[in-house]
Amino acid sequence: MNEHNDENRTERRGGTEIATDGGSDRDVVELPHQIELPRLLDFYELQTEETTKISEFYDNLADGQLTTTRCTECDELHFPPRIVCPECHSDDLEYVDLPHEGELFAFSTVRAGAPMGMEDEVPFVLGIVDLGDVRLSAHVDNAEYEDLEIGDAVEMKIVEIDGPVDHERVFYRFEPQE
Amino acid sequence: MTRNVGIVGGGHTKWGVREASYKDLIQEAGKATFEDVPDVTPDDIEGLFVGSVQPERFAFQTHVAPMVAELLGIDVDSMIARTELACASGQAALRYAWLAIAAGQIDTALVLGVEKMNLPREYTPEAQTSMANVMDREFDGVNGFNAPPYFAMIAQRHMHEYDTTREQLALVAAKNKTHAANNAFAQFQKEVSVEDVVDSFPLSPPLCLFDCSGVTDGAAGLILMSEEKAREVTDEAAWITGSGQTCLSSNSINNLPSMSAWPQATQAAEQAYEQAGIDDPLKELDVAEVHDCFSISEIVEYEDLGWVEKGEGGQFVEDGRSELDGDIAVNPRGGLLGCGHPLGATGVSQALEVFNQFRGTVEPERQVPDPETGLIHNLSGSASVHSVMTLARGRQ
Ligand SMILES: [Zn+2]
Repeated sequence: MNEHNDENRTERRGGTEIATDGGSDRDVVELPHQIELPRLLDFYELQTEETTKISEFYDNLADGQLTTTRCTECDELHFPPRIVCPECHSDDLEYVDLPHEGELFAFSTVRAGAPMGMEDEVPFVLGIVDLGDVRLSAHVDNAEYEDLEIGDAVEMKIVEIDGPVDHERVFYRFEPQE
Repeated sequence: MTRNVGIVGGGHTKWGVREASYKDLIQEAGKATFEDVPDVTPDDIEGLFVGSVQPERFAFQTHVAPMVAELLGIDVDSMIARTELACASGQAALRYAWLAIAAGQIDTALVLGVEKMNLPREYTPEAQTSMANVMDREFDGVNGFNAPPYFAMIAQRHMHEYDTTREQLALVAAKNKTHAANNAFAQFQKEVSVEDVVDSFPLSPPLCLFDCSGVTDGAAGLILMSEEKAREVTDEAAWITGSGQTCLSSNSINNLPSMSAWPQATQAAEQAYEQAGIDDPLKELDVAEVHDCFSISEIVEYEDLGWVEKGEGGQFVEDGRSELDGDIAVNPRGGLLGCGHPLGATGVSQALEVFNQFRGTVEPERQVPDPETGLIHNLSGSASVHSVMTLARGRQ
Protein backbone atom coordinates (compact mmCIF):
# COMPACT_ATOMS: atom_id res chain seq x y z
CA MET A 1 0.00 0.00 0.00
CA ASN A 2 1.29 3.49 -0.72
CA GLU A 3 0.12 6.95 0.14
CA HIS A 4 -1.83 7.44 -3.08
CA ASN A 5 -4.38 4.97 -1.88
CA ASP A 6 -4.95 6.42 1.56
CA GLU A 7 -8.31 7.97 0.74
CA ASN A 8 -9.57 4.76 -0.79
CA ARG A 9 -8.36 2.67 2.14
CA THR A 10 -10.07 4.85 4.71
CA GLU A 11 -13.28 4.54 2.80
CA ARG A 12 -13.00 0.73 2.70
CA ARG A 13 -12.21 0.45 6.37
CA GLY A 14 -15.56 2.13 6.98
CA GLY A 15 -17.12 -0.99 5.53
CA THR A 16 -20.46 0.20 4.27
CA GLU A 17 -19.10 2.31 1.42
CA ILE A 18 -17.51 -0.59 -0.38
CA ALA A 19 -20.44 -1.13 -2.71
CA THR A 20 -20.43 2.47 -3.85
CA ASP A 21 -16.70 2.97 -4.51
CA GLY A 22 -16.94 2.23 -8.20
CA GLY A 23 -16.51 -1.58 -8.15
CA SER A 24 -18.29 -2.13 -11.43
CA ASP A 25 -15.89 0.23 -13.22
CA ARG A 26 -12.85 -1.82 -12.24
CA ASP A 27 -10.82 -3.66 -14.83
CA VAL A 28 -11.27 -7.40 -14.58
CA VAL A 29 -8.24 -9.70 -14.74
CA GLU A 30 -9.39 -12.95 -16.32
CA LEU A 31 -7.87 -16.18 -15.07
CA PRO A 32 -8.85 -19.66 -16.25
CA HIS A 33 -11.24 -21.37 -13.82
CA GLN A 34 -9.99 -24.78 -14.83
CA ILE A 35 -6.90 -26.07 -16.55
CA GLU A 36 -6.26 -29.51 -18.00
CA LEU A 37 -3.90 -31.80 -16.12
CA PRO A 38 -0.50 -30.24 -16.77
CA ARG A 39 2.00 -32.68 -18.27
CA LEU A 40 4.38 -32.22 -15.35
CA LEU A 41 1.74 -33.32 -12.84
CA ASP A 42 1.06 -36.46 -14.86
CA PHE A 43 2.92 -39.14 -12.89
CA TYR A 44 3.97 -41.24 -15.87
CA GLU A 45 7.34 -40.15 -17.20
CA LEU A 46 8.03 -39.40 -20.82
CA GLN A 47 9.28 -42.61 -22.42
CA THR A 48 10.95 -41.71 -25.71
CA GLU A 49 14.66 -41.71 -26.49
CA GLU A 50 14.55 -37.91 -26.81
CA THR A 51 13.51 -37.60 -23.15
CA THR A 52 15.12 -40.47 -21.23
CA LYS A 53 18.16 -42.67 -21.63
CA ILE A 54 16.22 -45.66 -20.27
CA SER A 55 13.77 -45.58 -23.20
CA GLU A 56 14.83 -49.17 -23.99
CA PHE A 57 13.07 -50.25 -20.79
CA TYR A 58 9.83 -48.74 -22.07
CA ASP A 59 10.36 -50.08 -25.60
CA ASN A 60 10.80 -53.58 -24.16
CA LEU A 61 7.70 -53.14 -22.04
CA ALA A 62 5.69 -51.96 -25.03
CA ASP A 63 6.87 -55.14 -26.80
CA GLY A 64 5.52 -57.20 -23.89
CA GLN A 65 8.65 -57.85 -21.81
CA LEU A 66 9.56 -56.46 -18.37
CA THR A 67 13.30 -55.84 -18.24
CA THR A 68 15.91 -54.07 -16.20
CA THR A 69 19.61 -53.31 -16.42
CA ARG A 70 22.58 -55.43 -15.33
CA CYS A 71 26.15 -54.23 -15.11
CA THR A 72 28.48 -56.13 -17.44
CA GLU A 73 31.47 -55.10 -15.28
CA CYS A 74 30.36 -56.17 -11.79
CA ASP A 75 27.23 -58.19 -12.61
CA GLU A 76 25.02 -56.10 -10.31
CA LEU A 77 21.31 -56.24 -11.22
CA HIS A 78 19.55 -52.89 -10.83
CA PHE A 79 15.99 -51.82 -10.40
CA PRO A 80 14.93 -49.23 -11.37
CA PRO A 81 16.96 -49.46 -14.61
CA ARG A 82 20.06 -47.24 -14.68
CA ILE A 83 22.49 -45.75 -17.13
CA VAL A 84 25.38 -45.85 -14.62
CA CYS A 85 25.94 -48.77 -12.24
CA PRO A 86 25.57 -47.51 -8.65
CA GLU A 87 28.03 -50.19 -7.47
CA CYS A 88 31.00 -49.62 -9.81
CA HIS A 89 29.96 -46.57 -11.88
CA SER A 90 30.43 -48.43 -15.14
CA ASP A 91 28.13 -47.33 -17.94
CA ASP A 92 28.42 -50.64 -19.76
CA LEU A 93 24.99 -52.00 -18.87
CA GLU A 94 22.73 -54.51 -20.62
CA TYR A 95 18.98 -55.09 -20.49
CA VAL A 96 17.92 -58.45 -19.08
CA ASP A 97 14.47 -60.02 -18.77
CA LEU A 98 12.63 -60.07 -15.44
CA PRO A 99 10.05 -62.76 -14.68
CA HIS A 100 6.41 -61.81 -15.16
CA GLU A 101 5.22 -63.91 -12.23
CA GLY A 102 6.01 -63.36 -8.58
CA GLU A 103 4.69 -63.30 -5.03
CA LEU A 104 3.03 -60.57 -3.01
CA PHE A 105 5.59 -59.46 -0.42
CA ALA A 106 3.37 -56.77 1.15
CA PHE A 107 0.21 -54.89 0.25
CA SER A 108 -2.27 -52.29 1.45
CA THR A 109 -4.82 -49.93 -0.01
CA VAL A 110 -4.71 -46.31 -1.06
CA ARG A 111 -7.98 -44.71 0.05
CA ALA A 112 -7.06 -41.09 0.66
CA GLY A 113 -4.40 -38.57 -0.23
CA ALA A 114 -4.30 -39.65 -3.85
CA PRO A 115 -2.37 -37.19 -5.98
CA MET A 116 -3.78 -35.22 -8.87
CA GLY A 117 -4.81 -37.43 -11.75
CA MET A 118 -5.30 -40.49 -9.52
CA GLU A 119 -8.34 -39.31 -7.53
CA ASP A 120 -10.73 -41.37 -9.63
CA GLU A 121 -8.78 -44.60 -9.08
CA VAL A 122 -9.11 -44.54 -5.27
CA PRO A 123 -9.49 -46.93 -3.53
CA PHE A 124 -7.03 -49.37 -5.04
CA VAL A 125 -4.70 -52.11 -3.83
CA LEU A 126 -0.99 -51.27 -3.86
CA GLY A 127 1.57 -54.00 -3.39
CA ILE A 128 5.24 -54.89 -3.33
CA VAL A 129 5.85 -57.82 -5.66
CA ASP A 130 8.82 -60.14 -5.13
CA LEU A 131 10.17 -61.27 -8.50
CA GLY A 132 13.12 -63.12 -6.99
CA ASP A 133 16.03 -60.77 -7.66
CA VAL A 134 13.90 -57.62 -7.66
CA ARG A 135 11.08 -56.26 -5.51
CA LEU A 136 8.97 -53.63 -7.16
CA SER A 137 5.91 -51.63 -6.19
CA ALA A 138 2.83 -51.91 -8.36
CA HIS A 139 -0.90 -51.55 -8.57
CA VAL A 140 -2.57 -54.90 -7.88
CA ASP A 141 -5.61 -54.92 -10.15
CA ASN A 142 -8.68 -57.14 -9.93
CA ALA A 143 -8.15 -57.76 -6.21
CA GLU A 144 -9.69 -56.77 -2.88
CA TYR A 145 -7.44 -56.23 0.13
CA GLU A 146 -9.50 -58.65 2.23
CA ASP A 147 -8.95 -61.50 -0.24
CA LEU A 148 -5.15 -61.23 -0.38
CA GLU A 149 -2.39 -62.79 1.70
CA ILE A 150 1.39 -62.38 1.83
CA GLY A 151 2.88 -64.87 -0.62
CA ASP A 152 -0.04 -64.91 -3.04
CA ALA A 153 0.97 -65.58 -6.66
CA VAL A 154 0.60 -62.58 -8.97
CA GLU A 155 1.36 -61.99 -12.62
CA MET A 156 2.23 -58.92 -14.63
CA LYS A 157 -0.03 -57.19 -17.09
CA ILE A 158 0.81 -54.23 -19.29
CA VAL A 159 -1.46 -51.20 -19.43
CA GLU A 160 -1.54 -48.36 -21.93
CA ILE A 161 -1.46 -44.84 -20.52
CA ASP A 162 -3.87 -42.36 -22.05
CA GLY A 163 -2.93 -38.92 -20.76
CA PRO A 164 -1.82 -35.42 -21.73
CA VAL A 165 1.09 -36.64 -23.87
CA ASP A 166 1.18 -37.29 -27.61
CA HIS A 167 3.34 -40.41 -27.71
CA GLU A 168 2.09 -43.86 -26.74
CA ARG A 169 3.04 -44.87 -23.23
CA VAL A 170 2.82 -48.15 -21.30
CA PHE A 171 3.32 -49.29 -17.71
CA TYR A 172 3.19 -52.53 -15.75
CA ARG A 173 0.69 -53.65 -13.14
CA PHE A 174 0.07 -56.97 -11.43
CA GLU A 175 -2.99 -59.08 -10.72
CA PRO A 176 -3.66 -62.36 -8.88
CA GLN A 177 -2.86 -65.47 -10.90
CA GLU A 178 -5.82 -67.60 -11.94
CA MET B 1 33.66 -31.32 17.94
CA THR B 2 35.53 -28.48 19.45
CA ARG B 3 32.79 -26.36 21.01
CA ASN B 4 29.72 -27.12 23.07
CA VAL B 5 26.39 -25.89 21.73
CA GLY B 6 23.24 -25.24 23.71
CA ILE B 7 19.60 -24.54 22.97
CA VAL B 8 18.85 -21.38 24.94
CA GLY B 9 15.27 -20.69 23.92
CA GLY B 10 12.42 -21.58 21.64
CA GLY B 11 8.86 -20.84 20.67
CA HIS B 12 5.87 -22.43 19.06
CA THR B 13 2.73 -21.58 17.15
CA LYS B 14 -0.55 -23.35 17.70
CA TRP B 15 -0.56 -26.39 15.40
CA GLY B 16 -3.52 -27.67 13.44
CA VAL B 17 -5.76 -26.49 10.64
CA ARG B 18 -4.83 -22.86 10.95
CA GLU B 19 -6.59 -19.85 9.51
CA ALA B 20 -3.18 -18.40 8.76
CA SER B 21 -0.77 -18.18 5.85
CA TYR B 22 2.75 -19.58 5.53
CA LYS B 23 4.13 -16.11 6.31
CA ASP B 24 1.79 -15.71 9.30
CA LEU B 25 3.14 -18.94 10.81
CA ILE B 26 6.75 -17.78 10.41
CA GLN B 27 6.00 -14.50 12.17
CA GLU B 28 4.12 -16.16 15.05
CA ALA B 29 6.92 -18.66 15.70
CA GLY B 30 9.63 -16.01 15.39
CA LYS B 31 7.91 -13.73 17.88
CA ALA B 32 7.43 -16.59 20.37
CA THR B 33 11.04 -17.70 20.00
CA PHE B 34 12.63 -14.29 20.61
CA GLU B 35 10.22 -13.56 23.48
CA ASP B 36 11.48 -16.71 25.20
CA VAL B 37 15.05 -15.31 25.40
CA PRO B 38 14.86 -11.58 26.14
CA ASP B 39 18.63 -11.21 26.07
CA VAL B 40 18.89 -12.40 22.47
CA THR B 41 17.67 -10.11 19.68
CA PRO B 42 17.51 -10.49 15.90
CA ASP B 43 20.73 -8.46 15.75
CA ASP B 44 22.56 -11.30 17.50
CA ILE B 45 21.66 -13.90 14.87
CA GLU B 46 24.62 -14.83 12.66
CA GLY B 47 23.20 -17.95 11.08
CA LEU B 48 19.65 -18.76 9.97
CA PHE B 49 18.54 -22.29 9.11
CA VAL B 50 14.97 -22.87 7.96
CA GLY B 51 13.45 -26.35 7.80
CA SER B 52 10.65 -26.45 5.26
CA VAL B 53 9.76 -29.24 2.89
CA GLN B 54 7.30 -28.18 0.26
CA PRO B 55 6.62 -24.44 0.25
CA GLU B 56 6.74 -24.68 -3.55
CA ARG B 57 3.78 -27.05 -3.53
CA PHE B 58 1.82 -25.85 -0.50
CA ALA B 59 2.40 -22.10 -0.69
CA PHE B 60 4.00 -21.65 -4.14
CA GLN B 61 6.87 -19.82 -2.46
CA THR B 62 10.55 -20.58 -2.86
CA HIS B 63 13.77 -19.02 -1.45
CA VAL B 64 12.09 -19.08 1.93
CA ALA B 65 15.11 -18.56 4.23
CA PRO B 66 15.59 -14.94 3.09
CA MET B 67 11.86 -14.43 3.54
CA VAL B 68 12.20 -15.55 7.16
CA ALA B 69 15.12 -13.12 7.59
CA GLU B 70 12.99 -10.27 6.26
CA LEU B 71 9.89 -11.13 8.28
CA LEU B 72 11.84 -11.31 11.54
CA GLY B 73 14.23 -8.42 10.88
CA ILE B 74 17.41 -10.48 10.84
CA ASP B 75 20.54 -9.26 9.07
CA VAL B 76 22.28 -12.57 8.47
CA ASP B 77 26.01 -12.01 8.33
CA SER B 78 27.37 -15.52 8.03
CA MET B 79 25.11 -18.40 7.00
CA ILE B 80 21.61 -18.72 5.64
CA ALA B 81 19.90 -21.73 4.09
CA ARG B 82 16.74 -23.75 3.90
CA THR B 83 17.07 -27.46 4.58
CA GLU B 84 14.93 -30.03 2.77
CA LEU B 85 15.07 -33.60 4.00
CA ALA B 86 11.37 -34.43 3.83
CA CYS B 87 10.02 -35.20 7.32
CA ALA B 88 13.45 -34.66 8.93
CA SER B 89 13.98 -31.16 7.53
CA GLY B 90 13.61 -29.55 10.95
CA GLN B 91 16.23 -31.75 12.56
CA ALA B 92 18.47 -31.18 9.52
CA ALA B 93 18.25 -27.41 10.10
CA LEU B 94 19.06 -27.96 13.76
CA ARG B 95 21.98 -30.23 12.87
CA TYR B 96 23.53 -27.66 10.52
CA ALA B 97 23.13 -24.86 13.07
CA TRP B 98 24.82 -27.07 15.68
CA LEU B 99 27.64 -27.90 13.26
CA ALA B 100 28.22 -24.26 12.34
CA ILE B 101 28.49 -23.24 15.99
CA ALA B 102 30.49 -26.30 17.06
CA ALA B 103 32.94 -25.65 14.24
CA GLY B 104 33.46 -22.11 15.47
CA GLN B 105 32.02 -20.37 12.41
CA ILE B 106 29.26 -18.58 14.32
CA ASP B 107 28.11 -18.15 17.92
CA THR B 108 24.37 -17.68 17.57
CA ALA B 109 21.83 -19.24 15.20
CA LEU B 110 18.10 -19.24 14.70
CA VAL B 111 16.52 -22.51 13.60
CA LEU B 112 12.97 -22.20 12.34
CA GLY B 113 10.78 -24.99 11.00
CA VAL B 114 7.56 -24.20 9.19
CA GLU B 115 4.99 -25.90 7.00
CA LYS B 116 1.60 -24.78 5.76
CA MET B 117 -0.06 -28.01 4.61
CA ASN B 118 -3.80 -27.42 4.80
CA LEU B 119 -5.28 -26.01 1.67
CA PRO B 120 -9.01 -25.99 0.98
CA ARG B 121 -10.05 -29.62 0.51
CA GLU B 122 -10.55 -29.38 -3.23
CA TYR B 123 -6.82 -28.63 -3.62
CA THR B 124 -5.70 -31.72 -1.72
CA PRO B 125 -4.87 -33.79 -4.82
CA GLU B 126 -2.59 -31.02 -6.06
CA ALA B 127 -0.84 -30.74 -2.68
CA GLN B 128 -0.37 -34.51 -2.66
CA THR B 129 1.45 -34.62 -5.99
CA SER B 130 4.78 -34.22 -4.20
CA MET B 131 3.89 -36.12 -1.01
CA ALA B 132 3.62 -39.29 -3.12
CA ASN B 133 7.10 -38.72 -4.48
CA VAL B 134 9.53 -39.16 -1.61
CA MET B 135 10.67 -42.42 -3.22
CA ASP B 136 11.41 -42.76 -6.95
CA ARG B 137 8.66 -40.85 -8.72
CA GLU B 138 9.05 -42.80 -11.94
CA PHE B 139 8.71 -46.28 -10.42
CA ASP B 140 7.12 -45.84 -6.95
CA GLY B 141 5.32 -42.48 -6.91
CA VAL B 142 3.62 -43.40 -10.17
CA ASN B 143 1.82 -46.18 -8.27
CA GLY B 144 0.42 -43.74 -5.70
CA PHE B 145 2.96 -44.92 -3.11
CA ASN B 146 2.50 -42.21 -0.48
CA ALA B 147 3.10 -42.53 3.26
CA PRO B 148 0.02 -44.42 4.56
CA PRO B 149 0.45 -47.54 2.36
CA TYR B 150 4.22 -47.54 2.93
CA PHE B 151 3.90 -47.59 6.72
CA ALA B 152 0.93 -49.97 6.45
CA MET B 153 3.24 -52.43 4.70
CA ILE B 154 5.90 -51.93 7.38
CA ALA B 155 3.21 -52.78 9.93
CA GLN B 156 2.04 -55.77 7.90
CA ARG B 157 5.58 -57.17 7.60
CA HIS B 158 6.39 -56.49 11.28
CA MET B 159 3.20 -58.28 12.34
CA HIS B 160 4.02 -61.12 9.92
CA GLU B 161 7.63 -61.57 11.05
CA TYR B 162 7.42 -60.76 14.78
CA ASP B 163 3.76 -61.37 15.71
CA THR B 164 3.27 -57.74 16.64
CA THR B 165 -0.45 -57.22 17.26
CA ARG B 166 -3.03 -54.72 16.05
CA GLU B 167 -3.65 -53.78 19.71
CA GLN B 168 0.04 -53.02 20.30
CA LEU B 169 -0.04 -50.54 17.40
CA ALA B 170 -3.13 -48.95 18.92
CA LEU B 171 -1.43 -48.66 22.32
CA VAL B 172 1.18 -46.34 20.77
CA ALA B 173 -1.48 -44.11 19.24
CA ALA B 174 -3.57 -44.04 22.42
CA LYS B 175 -0.53 -43.18 24.56
CA ASN B 176 0.68 -40.35 22.37
CA LYS B 177 -2.72 -38.85 21.64
CA THR B 178 -3.47 -38.91 25.35
CA HIS B 179 -0.26 -36.95 26.01
CA ALA B 180 -1.34 -34.46 23.36
CA ALA B 181 -4.66 -33.98 25.14
CA ASN B 182 -2.63 -32.02 27.70
CA ASN B 183 -0.56 -30.06 25.19
CA ALA B 184 -1.87 -26.58 24.44
CA PHE B 185 -0.35 -26.35 20.95
CA ALA B 186 -1.23 -29.88 19.76
CA GLN B 187 -3.52 -30.43 16.79
CA PHE B 188 -5.43 -33.31 18.42
CA GLN B 189 -6.26 -32.54 22.06
CA LYS B 190 -8.57 -35.44 22.79
CA GLU B 191 -7.85 -38.56 24.81
CA VAL B 192 -8.14 -41.66 22.68
CA SER B 193 -8.54 -45.31 23.74
CA VAL B 194 -7.21 -48.45 22.08
CA GLU B 195 -10.78 -49.20 20.96
CA ASP B 196 -11.08 -45.73 19.39
CA VAL B 197 -7.94 -46.40 17.34
CA VAL B 198 -8.96 -49.86 16.16
CA ASP B 199 -12.45 -48.64 15.28
CA SER B 200 -11.30 -45.59 13.32
CA PHE B 201 -11.48 -45.46 9.51
CA PRO B 202 -9.32 -48.19 7.88
CA LEU B 203 -7.20 -45.76 5.90
CA SER B 204 -4.48 -48.15 4.72
CA PRO B 205 -5.02 -51.47 6.48
CA PRO B 206 -3.78 -52.67 8.87
CA LEU B 207 -3.42 -48.99 9.78
CA CYS B 208 -6.49 -46.96 10.70
CA LEU B 209 -6.95 -43.21 10.68
CA PHE B 210 -5.84 -42.82 14.33
CA ASP B 211 -2.63 -44.71 13.56
CA CYS B 212 -1.64 -41.79 11.31
CA SER B 213 -0.34 -38.31 12.08
CA GLY B 214 -2.26 -35.36 10.73
CA VAL B 215 -2.06 -32.83 7.95
CA THR B 216 -0.87 -29.86 9.91
CA ASP B 217 -0.05 -26.17 9.71
CA GLY B 218 2.54 -25.03 12.20
CA ALA B 219 5.93 -23.60 12.99
CA ALA B 220 8.48 -23.68 15.78
CA GLY B 221 11.78 -21.94 16.44
CA LEU B 222 14.94 -22.44 18.49
CA ILE B 223 17.91 -20.26 19.34
CA LEU B 224 21.27 -22.03 19.58
CA MET B 225 24.45 -20.57 21.07
CA SER B 226 28.00 -21.53 21.76
CA GLU B 227 28.59 -22.41 25.40
CA GLU B 228 30.43 -19.16 26.08
CA LYS B 229 27.54 -17.03 24.72
CA ALA B 230 24.84 -19.25 26.16
CA ARG B 231 26.15 -18.78 29.67
CA GLU B 232 25.63 -15.01 29.23
CA VAL B 233 21.90 -15.34 28.55
CA THR B 234 20.68 -18.36 30.52
CA ASP B 235 21.65 -20.90 33.15
CA GLU B 236 19.27 -23.58 31.88
CA ALA B 237 20.37 -24.44 28.34
CA ALA B 238 19.81 -27.87 26.77
CA TRP B 239 23.20 -29.07 25.52
CA ILE B 240 23.54 -31.01 22.27
CA THR B 241 25.69 -34.00 23.15
CA GLY B 242 25.51 -36.06 19.95
CA SER B 243 24.08 -36.04 16.44
CA GLY B 244 24.04 -38.88 13.89
CA GLN B 245 22.54 -39.46 10.47
CA THR B 246 22.56 -42.37 8.01
CA CYS B 247 21.34 -43.24 4.51
CA LEU B 248 22.31 -46.61 3.00
CA SER B 249 22.46 -45.87 -0.73
CA SER B 250 18.76 -46.57 -0.98
CA ASN B 251 15.52 -44.68 -1.46
CA SER B 252 13.25 -46.68 -3.77
CA ILE B 253 11.32 -49.82 -2.86
CA ASN B 254 13.67 -52.37 -4.44
CA ASN B 255 16.72 -50.92 -2.71
CA LEU B 256 15.47 -50.42 0.85
CA PRO B 257 17.34 -52.74 3.21
CA SER B 258 14.18 -54.06 4.90
CA MET B 259 10.42 -53.58 5.22
CA SER B 260 10.41 -54.44 8.94
CA ALA B 261 13.64 -52.91 10.25
CA TRP B 262 15.52 -49.65 9.89
CA PRO B 263 19.25 -50.35 10.22
CA GLN B 264 19.82 -46.69 9.35
CA ALA B 265 18.23 -45.78 12.69
CA THR B 266 20.56 -48.14 14.52
CA GLN B 267 23.62 -46.62 12.86
CA ALA B 268 22.51 -43.01 13.40
CA ALA B 269 21.73 -43.75 17.04
CA GLU B 270 25.08 -45.46 17.59
CA GLN B 271 26.84 -42.38 16.22
CA ALA B 272 24.94 -40.08 18.57
CA TYR B 273 25.31 -42.40 21.60
CA GLU B 274 29.04 -42.63 21.06
CA GLN B 275 29.45 -38.85 20.85
CA ALA B 276 27.31 -38.44 23.96
CA GLY B 277 29.08 -41.19 25.89
CA ILE B 278 25.86 -43.19 26.26
CA ASP B 279 26.55 -46.88 26.80
CA ASP B 280 23.08 -48.12 27.75
CA PRO B 281 20.42 -45.89 26.18
CA LEU B 282 17.56 -47.67 27.94
CA LYS B 283 19.05 -46.80 31.32
CA GLU B 284 20.62 -43.48 30.47
CA LEU B 285 17.89 -41.75 28.44
CA ASP B 286 15.05 -40.14 30.39
CA VAL B 287 12.90 -38.66 27.64
CA ALA B 288 12.67 -39.29 23.90
CA GLU B 289 10.77 -37.61 21.10
CA VAL B 290 10.74 -40.19 18.31
CA HIS B 291 9.20 -40.05 14.87
CA ASP B 292 5.75 -41.65 15.29
CA CYS B 293 4.42 -40.53 11.91
CA PHE B 294 2.45 -43.79 12.16
CA SER B 295 1.95 -45.99 15.23
CA ILE B 296 4.11 -48.79 13.79
CA SER B 297 7.05 -46.39 13.42
CA GLU B 298 7.45 -45.98 17.18
CA ILE B 299 7.47 -49.76 17.70
CA VAL B 300 10.20 -50.25 15.09
CA GLU B 301 12.13 -47.37 16.66
CA TYR B 302 12.13 -48.90 20.18
CA GLU B 303 13.97 -51.81 18.56
CA ASP B 304 16.25 -50.10 16.08
CA LEU B 305 17.29 -47.26 18.40
CA GLY B 306 18.76 -50.07 20.50
CA TRP B 307 16.36 -50.14 23.45
CA VAL B 308 15.00 -53.69 23.07
CA GLU B 309 15.73 -56.80 20.99
CA LYS B 310 14.40 -56.91 17.43
CA GLY B 311 10.77 -57.95 17.45
CA GLU B 312 10.17 -56.90 21.08
CA GLY B 313 8.88 -53.42 20.30
CA GLY B 314 5.22 -54.34 20.60
CA GLN B 315 5.80 -55.91 24.00
CA PHE B 316 7.75 -52.80 25.08
CA VAL B 317 4.69 -50.57 24.72
CA GLU B 318 2.35 -53.25 26.07
CA ASP B 319 4.46 -53.44 29.23
CA GLY B 320 4.18 -49.68 29.72
CA ARG B 321 7.91 -49.15 29.35
CA SER B 322 7.45 -46.08 27.10
CA GLU B 323 4.92 -44.37 29.40
CA LEU B 324 5.79 -41.16 31.27
CA ASP B 325 6.90 -43.27 34.26
CA GLY B 326 8.43 -46.07 32.16
CA ASP B 327 12.03 -46.87 31.25
CA ILE B 328 12.06 -43.98 28.77
CA ALA B 329 9.21 -41.47 28.54
CA VAL B 330 8.49 -41.59 24.81
CA ASN B 331 6.71 -38.72 23.12
CA PRO B 332 5.40 -36.82 26.16
CA ARG B 333 4.71 -33.96 23.74
CA GLY B 334 2.09 -36.14 22.07
CA GLY B 335 4.25 -37.14 19.16
CA LEU B 336 3.37 -36.61 15.55
CA LEU B 337 0.23 -38.66 16.20
CA GLY B 338 -1.07 -36.14 18.70
CA CYS B 339 0.61 -32.86 17.79
CA GLY B 340 0.28 -33.29 14.03
CA HIS B 341 3.19 -33.19 11.62
CA PRO B 342 3.93 -29.90 9.87
CA LEU B 343 6.88 -31.56 8.15
CA GLY B 344 9.66 -28.98 8.46
CA ALA B 345 8.62 -27.92 11.98
CA THR B 346 8.47 -31.35 13.63
CA GLY B 347 12.15 -31.88 14.49
CA VAL B 348 12.39 -28.33 15.84
CA SER B 349 9.34 -28.87 18.04
CA GLN B 350 10.73 -32.18 19.33
CA ALA B 351 13.97 -30.51 20.44
CA LEU B 352 12.01 -27.68 22.04
CA GLU B 353 9.96 -30.28 23.93
CA VAL B 354 13.09 -31.91 25.36
CA PHE B 355 14.38 -28.46 26.37
CA ASN B 356 11.03 -27.63 28.00
CA GLN B 357 11.01 -30.99 29.80
CA PHE B 358 14.47 -30.17 31.18
CA ARG B 359 13.38 -26.77 32.47
CA GLY B 360 9.99 -28.01 33.65
CA THR B 361 7.78 -25.70 31.64
CA VAL B 362 5.41 -28.22 30.02
CA GLU B 363 1.91 -28.92 31.30
CA PRO B 364 2.22 -30.80 34.64
CA GLU B 365 0.14 -33.75 33.38
CA ARG B 366 2.86 -34.69 30.88
CA GLN B 367 5.96 -33.58 32.75
CA VAL B 368 8.59 -36.31 33.04
CA PRO B 369 10.06 -36.34 36.57
CA ASP B 370 13.44 -34.56 36.57
CA PRO B 371 14.78 -35.60 33.18
CA GLU B 372 18.51 -35.13 32.68
CA THR B 373 19.01 -36.66 29.22
CA GLY B 374 16.92 -36.71 26.08
CA LEU B 375 16.83 -37.84 22.46
CA ILE B 376 15.08 -36.71 19.30
CA HIS B 377 14.68 -38.96 16.27
CA ASN B 378 13.32 -38.37 12.79
CA LEU B 379 12.99 -40.61 9.81
CA SER B 380 12.34 -39.17 6.39
CA GLY B 381 10.62 -40.31 3.23
CA SER B 382 10.51 -44.09 2.96
CA ALA B 383 12.52 -44.16 6.21
CA SER B 384 15.59 -44.21 3.98
CA VAL B 385 17.27 -41.61 6.19
CA HIS B 386 17.35 -41.55 9.98
CA SER B 387 18.51 -38.61 12.09
CA VAL B 388 19.18 -38.83 15.82
CA MET B 389 20.26 -36.13 18.27
CA THR B 390 20.96 -36.47 21.99
CA LEU B 391 20.57 -33.67 24.52
CA ALA B 392 21.51 -33.15 28.15
CA ARG B 393 20.31 -30.77 30.83
CA GLY B 394 23.63 -30.09 32.45
CA ARG B 395 27.22 -30.29 31.37
CA GLN B 396 29.83 -31.66 33.72
ZN1 LIG C 1 28.77 -52.35 -11.82
